Amino acid sequence: MAQAESKPDSHHAYRVISREEILARLQDPALWLVNVMPKETFEAGHLPRSINLPVAEIEKCARQVLPDMAREIAVYCAGPT
Amino acid sequence: MLEKIGYTNLRYYVGGMADWVESGSPVEKLEPVTAMPRTGQTVQTPISRTSSWSGFLDLLAGWSLERLVGFWLGMILVFGLVYWGAGISMGWGLQAGNVAVKPDLEGLGTAIYFSFVTALSIGYGDVIPVGPLRILAVAEGIAGLLTFGCVISKLVSRRQEELTVEIQRTTFDDRLDRVRTNLHLVFSDFGAVQQLQAEQGSLPAQVLRRLESTVRVFRGELQTVHDLLYRSHVVPDEEALESLLANLVICLQSLVELNGSRPVNDGQSPALDSSLRAISNLAREICGECVPNNYAPALKDSMDQIQELARKFA
Repeated sequence: MAQAESKPDSHHAYRVISREEILARLQDPALWLVNVMPKETFEAGHLPRSINLPVAEIEKCARQVLPDMAREIAVYCAGPT
Repeated sequence: MLEKIGYTNLRYYVGGMADWVESGSPVEKLEPVTAMPRTGQTVQTPISRTSSWSGFLDLLAGWSLERLVGFWLGMILVFGLVYWGAGISMGWGLQAGNVAVKPDLEGLGTAIYFSFVTALSIGYGDVIPVGPLRILAVAEGIAGLLTFGCVISKLVSRRQEELTVEIQRTTFDDRLDRVRTNLHLVFSDFGAVQQLQAEQGSLPAQVLRRLESTVRVFRGELQTVHDLLYRSHVVPDEEALESLLANLVICLQSLVELNGSRPVNDGQSPALDSSLRAISNLAREICGECVPNNYAPALKDSMDQIQELARKFA
Protein backbone atom coordinates (compact mmCIF):
# COMPACT_ATOMS: atom_id res chain seq x y z
CA MET A 1 0.00 0.00 0.00
CA ALA A 2 1.30 3.39 -0.88
CA GLN A 3 2.12 5.06 2.37
CA ALA A 4 1.21 8.69 2.58
CA GLU A 5 3.19 11.06 4.72
CA SER A 6 0.27 11.59 7.02
CA LYS A 7 0.32 8.00 8.22
CA PRO A 8 3.87 6.73 8.34
CA ASP A 9 4.89 3.31 9.63
CA SER A 10 5.93 4.73 12.94
CA HIS A 11 2.29 5.35 13.68
CA HIS A 12 2.46 3.64 17.03
CA ALA A 13 5.23 5.89 18.19
CA TYR A 14 2.76 8.79 18.34
CA ARG A 15 1.72 9.96 21.74
CA VAL A 16 -1.97 9.45 22.00
CA ILE A 17 -4.60 11.28 23.99
CA SER A 18 -7.74 9.63 25.27
CA ARG A 19 -11.29 10.83 24.92
CA GLU A 20 -11.57 11.08 28.69
CA GLU A 21 -8.60 13.40 28.90
CA ILE A 22 -9.95 15.64 26.15
CA LEU A 23 -13.33 15.74 27.85
CA ALA A 24 -11.74 16.66 31.15
CA ARG A 25 -9.67 19.40 29.54
CA LEU A 26 -12.29 20.88 27.22
CA GLN A 27 -12.03 24.18 29.08
CA ASP A 28 -8.24 24.10 29.36
CA PRO A 29 -6.79 26.80 27.09
CA ALA A 30 -3.33 25.17 27.25
CA LEU A 31 -4.57 22.29 25.10
CA TRP A 32 -5.31 23.07 21.48
CA LEU A 33 -7.69 20.83 19.60
CA VAL A 34 -6.96 20.53 15.90
CA ASN A 35 -9.36 19.01 13.40
CA VAL A 36 -7.58 17.99 10.18
CA MET A 37 -10.69 17.17 8.16
CA PRO A 38 -11.86 19.25 5.16
CA LYS A 39 -13.81 22.41 5.87
CA GLU A 40 -17.24 20.96 4.99
CA THR A 41 -16.76 18.01 7.31
CA PHE A 42 -15.55 20.33 10.05
CA GLU A 43 -18.61 22.53 9.70
CA ALA A 44 -20.90 19.54 9.95
CA GLY A 45 -19.62 18.76 13.42
CA HIS A 46 -16.45 18.96 15.47
CA LEU A 47 -15.18 18.88 19.02
CA PRO A 48 -16.01 22.06 20.90
CA ARG A 49 -13.31 24.71 20.72
CA SER A 50 -11.35 22.93 18.00
CA ILE A 51 -9.47 24.62 15.18
CA ASN A 52 -9.88 23.47 11.59
CA LEU A 53 -6.67 22.77 9.68
CA PRO A 54 -7.41 20.55 6.66
CA VAL A 55 -4.64 18.10 5.84
CA ALA A 56 -4.16 19.73 2.45
CA GLU A 57 -3.47 23.09 4.04
CA ILE A 58 -1.11 21.97 6.77
CA GLU A 59 2.06 22.93 4.97
CA LYS A 60 0.66 26.26 3.89
CA CYS A 61 -1.24 27.43 6.94
CA ALA A 62 -0.02 25.54 9.99
CA ARG A 63 2.24 28.34 11.20
CA GLN A 64 -0.46 30.96 10.98
CA VAL A 65 -3.16 28.86 12.59
CA LEU A 66 -0.94 27.34 15.25
CA PRO A 67 1.82 29.85 15.93
CA ASP A 68 3.08 28.23 19.12
CA MET A 69 5.26 25.23 18.21
CA ALA A 70 5.67 24.00 21.77
CA ARG A 71 2.00 24.11 22.65
CA GLU A 72 0.26 20.89 23.52
CA ILE A 73 -1.84 20.01 20.50
CA ALA A 74 -4.40 17.23 20.21
CA VAL A 75 -4.92 16.23 16.59
CA TYR A 76 -7.88 14.21 15.36
CA CYS A 77 -9.79 13.35 12.22
CA ALA A 78 -12.88 11.37 11.24
CA GLY A 79 -12.07 8.14 12.99
CA PRO A 80 -9.37 5.68 13.94
CA THR A 81 -6.44 6.11 11.54
CA MET B 1 2.93 15.86 8.96
CA LEU B 2 2.72 18.51 11.66
CA GLU B 3 5.79 17.24 13.47
CA LYS B 4 7.82 17.78 10.31
CA ILE B 5 7.04 21.46 10.49
CA GLY B 6 8.41 21.53 14.00
CA TYR B 7 5.60 21.05 16.47
CA THR B 8 6.99 19.28 19.47
CA ASN B 9 4.10 18.59 21.76
CA LEU B 10 1.71 16.71 19.48
CA ARG B 11 -0.77 14.15 20.70
CA TYR B 12 -3.19 12.12 18.67
CA TYR B 13 -6.77 11.44 19.50
CA VAL B 14 -6.92 8.13 17.68
CA GLY B 15 -10.68 7.56 18.00
CA GLY B 16 -11.41 10.80 16.18
CA MET B 17 -14.90 12.16 15.50
CA ALA B 18 -16.40 8.66 15.23
CA ASP B 19 -15.38 7.76 18.77
CA TRP B 20 -16.35 11.19 20.08
CA VAL B 21 -19.84 11.12 18.63
CA GLU B 22 -20.37 7.49 19.69
CA SER B 23 -19.65 8.37 23.30
CA GLY B 24 -22.28 11.08 23.15
CA SER B 25 -19.83 13.89 23.94
CA PRO B 26 -20.79 17.43 22.92
CA VAL B 27 -20.34 18.32 19.27
CA GLU B 28 -20.12 21.82 17.92
CA LYS B 29 -21.58 22.70 14.54
CA LEU B 30 -21.24 25.69 12.28
CA GLU B 31 -24.42 26.54 10.48
CA PRO B 32 -23.81 27.95 7.03
CA VAL B 33 -25.41 31.37 6.60
CA THR B 34 -27.84 30.06 4.03
CA ALA B 35 -28.66 26.65 5.33
CA MET B 36 -30.00 25.02 2.18
CA PRO B 37 -30.67 21.33 2.53
CA ARG B 38 -28.84 19.39 -0.12
CA THR B 39 -31.00 17.26 -2.31
CA GLY B 40 -31.53 13.79 -1.01
CA GLN B 41 -30.59 14.56 2.53
CA THR B 42 -33.39 13.85 4.88
CA VAL B 43 -34.22 17.05 6.62
CA GLN B 44 -36.01 16.62 9.89
CA THR B 45 -38.72 19.21 9.83
CA PRO B 46 -39.55 20.09 13.37
CA ILE B 47 -43.13 19.03 13.95
CA SER B 48 -44.76 20.90 16.73
CA ARG B 49 -46.31 18.19 18.84
CA THR B 50 -48.95 20.24 20.54
CA SER B 51 -50.94 17.24 21.68
CA SER B 52 -50.82 13.51 21.82
CA TRP B 53 -53.43 13.63 19.06
CA SER B 54 -51.04 14.99 16.44
CA GLY B 55 -48.47 12.56 17.81
CA PHE B 56 -50.89 9.77 17.07
CA LEU B 57 -51.41 11.07 13.54
CA ASP B 58 -47.64 11.16 12.98
CA LEU B 59 -47.44 7.62 14.21
CA LEU B 60 -50.12 6.53 11.75
CA ALA B 61 -48.41 8.33 8.88
CA GLY B 62 -45.14 6.58 9.72
CA TRP B 63 -46.58 3.09 9.53
CA SER B 64 -46.17 0.85 6.52
CA LEU B 65 -49.08 0.11 4.24
CA GLU B 66 -49.47 -3.48 5.46
CA ARG B 67 -49.48 -2.38 9.06
CA LEU B 68 -52.04 0.33 8.40
CA VAL B 69 -54.41 -2.06 6.63
CA GLY B 70 -53.95 -4.58 9.44
CA PHE B 71 -54.69 -1.90 12.04
CA TRP B 72 -57.76 -0.77 10.15
CA LEU B 73 -59.24 -4.28 9.81
CA GLY B 74 -58.35 -5.10 13.42
CA MET B 75 -60.06 -1.95 14.62
CA ILE B 76 -63.26 -2.77 12.74
CA LEU B 77 -63.34 -6.29 14.17
CA VAL B 78 -62.76 -5.06 17.72
CA PHE B 79 -65.54 -2.49 17.40
CA GLY B 80 -67.83 -5.20 16.02
CA LEU B 81 -67.07 -7.40 19.02
CA VAL B 82 -67.80 -4.51 21.36
CA TYR B 83 -71.20 -3.83 19.74
CA TRP B 84 -71.99 -7.51 20.06
CA GLY B 85 -70.69 -7.80 23.62
CA ALA B 86 -72.69 -4.73 24.67
CA GLY B 87 -75.79 -6.53 23.52
CA ILE B 88 -75.05 -9.58 25.66
CA SER B 89 -73.89 -7.96 28.86
CA MET B 90 -76.04 -4.86 29.10
CA GLY B 91 -79.04 -5.62 27.08
CA TRP B 92 -78.68 -2.61 24.84
CA GLY B 93 -77.02 -2.96 21.51
CA LEU B 94 -77.90 -2.87 17.87
CA GLN B 95 -81.33 -2.87 16.38
CA ALA B 96 -82.26 -4.16 12.96
CA GLY B 97 -85.69 -2.98 11.97
CA ASN B 98 -86.82 -2.20 15.53
CA VAL B 99 -85.78 -5.68 16.68
CA ALA B 100 -82.75 -5.99 18.94
CA VAL B 101 -79.93 -7.98 17.44
CA LYS B 102 -79.59 -11.25 19.33
CA PRO B 103 -76.34 -12.07 21.10
CA ASP B 104 -75.78 -15.22 19.04
CA LEU B 105 -73.49 -16.05 16.13
CA GLU B 106 -75.78 -14.38 13.64
CA GLY B 107 -75.80 -11.34 15.88
CA LEU B 108 -72.01 -11.31 15.81
CA GLY B 109 -72.10 -11.30 12.03
CA THR B 110 -74.56 -8.41 12.07
CA ALA B 111 -72.37 -6.49 14.54
CA ILE B 112 -69.28 -6.87 12.39
CA TYR B 113 -71.29 -5.91 9.31
CA PHE B 114 -72.49 -2.81 11.13
CA SER B 115 -68.92 -2.06 12.15
CA PHE B 116 -67.73 -2.13 8.52
CA VAL B 117 -70.64 -0.01 7.35
CA THR B 118 -69.82 2.54 10.05
CA ALA B 119 -66.04 2.58 9.56
CA LEU B 120 -66.46 3.12 5.84
CA SER B 121 -69.07 5.79 6.61
CA ILE B 122 -71.56 4.07 4.33
CA GLY B 123 -74.39 4.14 6.84
CA TYR B 124 -77.12 2.08 5.12
CA GLY B 125 -79.30 2.43 8.16
CA ASP B 126 -80.59 -1.13 8.14
CA VAL B 127 -78.85 -1.77 11.47
CA ILE B 128 -78.74 1.08 13.97
CA PRO B 129 -77.00 1.57 17.29
CA VAL B 130 -79.07 2.28 20.37
CA GLY B 131 -78.25 4.34 23.45
CA PRO B 132 -74.62 4.99 24.36
CA LEU B 133 -73.50 2.79 21.48
CA ARG B 134 -74.25 5.71 19.18
CA ILE B 135 -71.29 7.59 20.66
CA LEU B 136 -69.09 4.59 20.03
CA ALA B 137 -70.35 4.33 16.47
CA VAL B 138 -69.51 7.98 15.76
CA ALA B 139 -66.03 7.49 17.23
CA GLU B 140 -65.50 4.48 15.02
CA GLY B 141 -66.64 6.45 12.00
CA ILE B 142 -64.02 9.12 12.66
CA ALA B 143 -61.20 6.69 13.41
CA GLY B 144 -62.08 4.50 10.45
CA LEU B 145 -62.08 7.40 8.01
CA LEU B 146 -58.75 8.72 9.29
CA THR B 147 -57.04 5.36 9.05
CA PHE B 148 -58.54 4.64 5.65
CA GLY B 149 -57.31 8.03 4.47
CA CYS B 150 -53.80 7.13 5.58
CA VAL B 151 -54.03 3.84 3.66
CA ILE B 152 -55.09 5.65 0.49
CA SER B 153 -52.37 8.30 0.76
CA LYS B 154 -49.80 5.56 1.31
CA LEU B 155 -50.98 3.81 -1.83
CA VAL B 156 -50.68 6.98 -3.87
CA SER B 157 -47.30 8.09 -2.54
CA ARG B 158 -45.83 4.61 -2.87
CA ARG B 159 -45.53 4.83 -6.62
CA GLN B 160 -44.26 8.37 -6.31
CA GLU B 161 -41.51 7.38 -3.90
CA GLU B 162 -40.43 4.59 -6.22
CA LEU B 163 -40.23 7.08 -9.06
CA THR B 164 -38.18 9.56 -7.03
CA VAL B 165 -35.66 6.90 -6.08
CA GLU B 166 -35.50 5.73 -9.67
CA ILE B 167 -34.91 9.25 -10.97
CA GLN B 168 -32.24 9.93 -8.38
CA ARG B 169 -30.45 6.72 -9.27
CA THR B 170 -30.50 7.39 -13.00
CA THR B 171 -29.24 10.94 -12.59
CA PHE B 172 -26.48 9.69 -10.35
CA ASP B 173 -25.45 6.96 -12.79
CA ASP B 174 -25.51 9.43 -15.65
CA ARG B 175 -23.31 11.78 -13.72
CA LEU B 176 -20.79 9.06 -12.93
CA ASP B 177 -20.78 8.06 -16.58
CA ARG B 178 -20.10 11.62 -17.61
CA VAL B 179 -17.24 11.94 -15.14
CA ARG B 180 -15.71 8.74 -16.43
CA THR B 181 -15.96 9.83 -20.05
CA ASN B 182 -14.57 13.25 -19.29
CA LEU B 183 -11.64 11.78 -17.40
CA HIS B 184 -10.90 9.58 -20.37
CA LEU B 185 -10.94 12.58 -22.70
CA VAL B 186 -8.72 14.49 -20.31
CA PHE B 187 -6.29 11.60 -20.32
CA SER B 188 -6.07 11.42 -24.11
CA ASP B 189 -5.69 15.19 -24.30
CA PHE B 190 -2.84 15.10 -21.82
CA GLY B 191 -1.24 12.39 -23.95
CA ALA B 192 -1.55 14.51 -27.07
CA VAL B 193 -0.04 17.55 -25.37
CA GLN B 194 2.78 15.42 -24.02
CA GLN B 195 3.55 14.17 -27.49
CA LEU B 196 3.56 17.69 -28.90
CA GLN B 197 5.85 18.75 -26.14
CA ALA B 198 8.24 15.90 -26.87
CA GLU B 199 8.29 16.74 -30.57
CA GLN B 200 8.59 20.49 -30.35
CA GLY B 201 10.31 20.98 -27.04
CA SER B 202 7.96 23.76 -26.03
CA LEU B 203 4.28 24.49 -26.03
CA PRO B 204 2.88 26.84 -28.66
CA ALA B 205 0.35 29.32 -27.30
CA GLN B 206 -2.51 27.46 -28.96
CA VAL B 207 -1.62 24.21 -27.27
CA LEU B 208 -1.27 26.00 -23.99
CA ARG B 209 -4.84 27.28 -24.31
CA ARG B 210 -6.01 23.76 -24.99
CA LEU B 211 -4.13 22.46 -22.00
CA GLU B 212 -5.69 25.16 -19.86
CA SER B 213 -9.15 24.08 -20.86
CA THR B 214 -8.37 20.40 -20.33
CA VAL B 215 -6.92 21.06 -16.91
CA ARG B 216 -10.05 23.03 -16.04
CA VAL B 217 -12.27 20.12 -17.01
CA PHE B 218 -10.07 17.82 -15.00
CA ARG B 219 -10.35 20.08 -12.00
CA GLY B 220 -14.13 20.04 -12.24
CA GLU B 221 -14.31 16.28 -12.41
CA LEU B 222 -11.83 15.89 -9.58
CA GLN B 223 -14.08 18.12 -7.52
CA THR B 224 -17.02 15.88 -8.36
CA VAL B 225 -15.17 12.76 -7.24
CA HIS B 226 -13.96 14.57 -4.13
CA ASP B 227 -17.51 15.56 -3.23
CA LEU B 228 -18.69 12.07 -3.95
CA LEU B 229 -16.19 10.67 -1.48
CA TYR B 230 -16.77 13.28 1.19
CA ARG B 231 -20.41 14.18 1.25
CA SER B 232 -22.44 12.03 -1.02
CA HIS B 233 -25.66 10.60 0.29
CA VAL B 234 -25.61 7.96 -2.41
CA VAL B 235 -22.57 5.75 -2.25
CA PRO B 236 -21.67 4.46 -5.72
CA ASP B 237 -21.01 0.78 -6.09
CA GLU B 238 -17.39 -0.13 -5.66
CA GLU B 239 -16.95 -1.21 -9.26
CA ALA B 240 -18.00 2.16 -10.62
CA LEU B 241 -15.88 3.94 -8.04
CA GLU B 242 -12.89 1.77 -8.84
CA SER B 243 -12.94 2.66 -12.52
CA LEU B 244 -13.41 6.33 -11.63
CA LEU B 245 -10.45 6.30 -9.29
CA ALA B 246 -8.32 4.38 -11.78
CA ASN B 247 -9.09 7.00 -14.41
CA LEU B 248 -8.23 9.72 -11.93
CA VAL B 249 -4.90 8.08 -11.16
CA ILE B 250 -3.82 7.82 -14.79
CA CYS B 251 -4.87 11.39 -15.46
CA LEU B 252 -2.91 12.62 -12.48
CA GLN B 253 0.07 10.54 -13.46
CA SER B 254 0.09 11.98 -16.91
CA LEU B 255 -0.34 15.49 -15.51
CA VAL B 256 2.59 14.92 -13.17
CA GLU B 257 4.71 13.70 -16.08
CA LEU B 258 3.67 16.67 -18.14
CA ASN B 259 4.53 18.94 -15.29
CA GLY B 260 7.80 17.16 -14.56
CA SER B 261 9.33 17.08 -18.03
CA ARG B 262 9.08 20.83 -18.25
CA PRO B 263 7.18 22.77 -15.63
CA VAL B 264 3.91 23.74 -17.17
CA ASN B 265 3.21 26.29 -14.52
CA ASP B 266 6.21 28.45 -15.27
CA GLY B 267 4.21 31.60 -14.99
CA GLN B 268 3.06 31.65 -18.60
CA SER B 269 -0.52 31.08 -17.67
CA PRO B 270 -2.07 32.23 -14.41
CA ALA B 271 -5.24 30.27 -15.19
CA LEU B 272 -3.23 27.07 -15.45
CA ASP B 273 -1.42 27.88 -12.25
CA SER B 274 -4.54 28.32 -10.22
CA SER B 275 -6.16 25.22 -11.70
CA LEU B 276 -3.11 23.14 -10.88
CA ARG B 277 -3.06 24.47 -7.33
CA ALA B 278 -6.73 23.61 -6.90
CA ILE B 279 -6.15 20.13 -8.31
CA SER B 280 -3.28 19.56 -5.94
CA ASN B 281 -5.31 20.71 -2.94
CA LEU B 282 -8.29 18.57 -3.86
CA ALA B 283 -6.29 15.48 -4.63
CA ARG B 284 -4.40 15.74 -1.38
CA GLU B 285 -7.60 15.31 0.52
CA ILE B 286 -8.27 11.99 -1.15
CA CYS B 287 -6.70 9.11 0.69
CA GLY B 288 -7.91 5.79 2.00
CA GLU B 289 -7.86 6.90 5.61
CA CYS B 290 -9.12 10.43 5.37
CA VAL B 291 -12.40 9.88 3.52
CA PRO B 292 -15.35 9.29 5.84
CA ASN B 293 -16.43 5.93 4.44
CA ASN B 294 -14.54 2.71 4.65
CA TYR B 295 -13.79 1.25 1.24
CA ALA B 296 -12.20 -1.95 -0.04
CA PRO B 297 -8.37 -2.08 0.16
CA ALA B 298 -8.00 -1.77 -3.62
CA LEU B 299 -9.98 1.47 -3.55
CA LYS B 300 -8.01 2.79 -0.61
CA ASP B 301 -4.81 2.05 -2.52
CA SER B 302 -6.04 4.09 -5.47
CA MET B 303 -6.96 6.94 -3.15
CA ASP B 304 -3.54 6.84 -1.51
CA GLN B 305 -1.97 6.88 -4.95
CA ILE B 306 -3.97 9.99 -5.80
CA GLN B 307 -2.77 11.70 -2.66
CA GLU B 308 0.83 10.78 -3.34
CA LEU B 309 0.65 12.02 -6.91
CA ALA B 310 -0.81 15.28 -5.66
CA ARG B 311 2.25 15.84 -3.50
CA LYS B 312 4.43 15.80 -6.58
CA PHE B 313 2.90 19.05 -7.69
CA ALA B 314 4.32 21.01 -4.84
